[in-house]
Amino acid sequence: MANAWKIARKSNAQLPLVIVIALAIVLVLLGKAQSGMFDQARAWVTDWIAPGLEKVRAPVQDFGRFVGSITEVFSVYEQNLKLKEENARLRQWRNVATVLQGRVTRYQILLHAVPDPKLNAVLARVIGRVSRPFLQTMVLNAGKQDGAMPGQAVVDARGMIGRIYLTGQRTSWVILLTDLNSRIPVTISSAVGSSGNVQAMMTGDNTTMPVLDIVSRQATLHAGDQVVSSGDGGLLPAGLPIGTVVDDGSGGWRVALLADASSSQDVEILNFSQPPEALPPTVQLPAEAAGLKPQPPPPVAATPALVLAAPKPVVVARPMATNASPSPEAAESEDQ
Amino acid sequence: MAALERPGSTTTQRLLGVLLPLLCGLLGVFIANIPISLLGGAVPPPLLGLLPIYFWCLVRPDLMTPAAALTIGIAEDILSGGPPGVWSLAFVLTYAVVARQRDSFAGLSGLVAVVGFGAAASVACASAYFTIAALYGHFQPLAPILSELAMTVLFYVPTVYVFGIIHHRLVGASRSDF
Repeated sequence: MANAWKIARKSNAQLPLVIVIALAIVLVLLGKAQSGMFDQARAWVTDWIAPGLEKVRAPVQDFGRFVGSITEVFSVYEQNLKLKEENARLRQWRNVATVLQGRVTRYQILLHAVPDPKLNAVLARVIGRVSRPFLQTMVLNAGKQDGAMPGQAVVDARGMIGRIYLTGQRTSWVILLTDLNSRIPVTISSAVGSSGNVQAMMTGDNTTMPVLDIVSRQATLHAGDQVVSSGDGGLLPAGLPIGTVVDDGSGGWRVALLADASSSQDVEILNFSQPPEALPPTVQLPAEAAGLKPQPPPPVAATPALVLAAPKPVVVARPMATNASPSPEAAESEDQ
Repeated sequence: MAALERPGSTTTQRLLGVLLPLLCGLLGVFIANIPISLLGGAVPPPLLGLLPIYFWCLVRPDLMTPAAALTIGIAEDILSGGPPGVWSLAFVLTYAVVARQRDSFAGLSGLVAVVGFGAAASVACASAYFTIAALYGHFQPLAPILSELAMTVLFYVPTVYVFGIIHHRLVGASRSDF
């Protein structure tokens, strides 16, 4: 091969190599300071190729399914048995969930609880996936013109997949929960006993199961504990199902995600915007808390007479009649 | 001497011959970063932008300048979506290593040439890996970057074959006049 290549002896590079290396280092440092430096260009390119991606999506999906089926055809029988068993278990859980849902609804009615606000959602289709060594993301066919905004959560039927970090006019890039840059505040509900909830930070490290960084060192986790979004910070809604806790074998904890980002096709972008908590008007605050000088008490008005409300008659509760129709004895006494 | 004559005679053809290595690099970056995976994301895409840098750095370094390598690296950074500057630095450092050892790399043939390219690609992947480690403060799993290195080396032979055809028919072996 070397003989075929006619090697030029000396390069007449326009820029010395040292300067170019220095420029590259400056680029790294600049990118660290302003990470969104290339984002607009990337969004523009993605918008540009989005029609092509949507066209090739179906054949690529079919090919991927075919390649995947080659390995799975040897384990169809075992998978069928496993799915039947899982299906039976999930039916039991569905019954439990239905009962619990009814109970929660009754409690909410009794307590006059304010229901959670319904989330507006944009349905989007996955038109591309990127799995690079330092980036795991997917591309959706919904962008700014559809109401998608950076920070919004992306979920499929099973659970949370990630959140949007870049939007073009017609496309959005989703940073997956497994990505290196993903950090989500989560709540871990104990599956054993009633030891309460544990707050933690779930961090992606480009493996299939993100790491749990527990905020409290005294908290105890168990394999199988449920992980949901905590809603801390107000960026994500609370209670989005994420996964279950698993032991990583080295004393740490990871999360087995419910959603499978590699197979999701249709996802929802949740439009969650929690309004900032409004301060009460200063007149309702104590003077010191409102930062005001204590005001002198208002002068007592002389003309209006003090009107006392008449005491209400005391009502004694009577035991309710168990039978709606009056008893014959009661009817007789009324007659007398 | 006939082999050293320029294939194109018109100015447009000569300009195209000069720009072709850079365009091949940008095209490779674009193809590698199309967000479609035929294998369901099981393996990362190869670094197709690195292949023209290596090839023309050996055969025509006057056409594949450090600035061209930096441009291809910036394109890789933009389209790949990673932290800015990581692949720019990796490609430029690889260019520096290959340019410094050009005679050694160009003297390889057959399977050893593939190993030589593997060494050059290792420089790119290692510099990207350590840059990411420096940016994030901890080392990342090695498996993804090793997969990308393996995929890049796997694509070396067919891609270099195509580049050889392009080089002999459109670029030419002699030094550019531009």
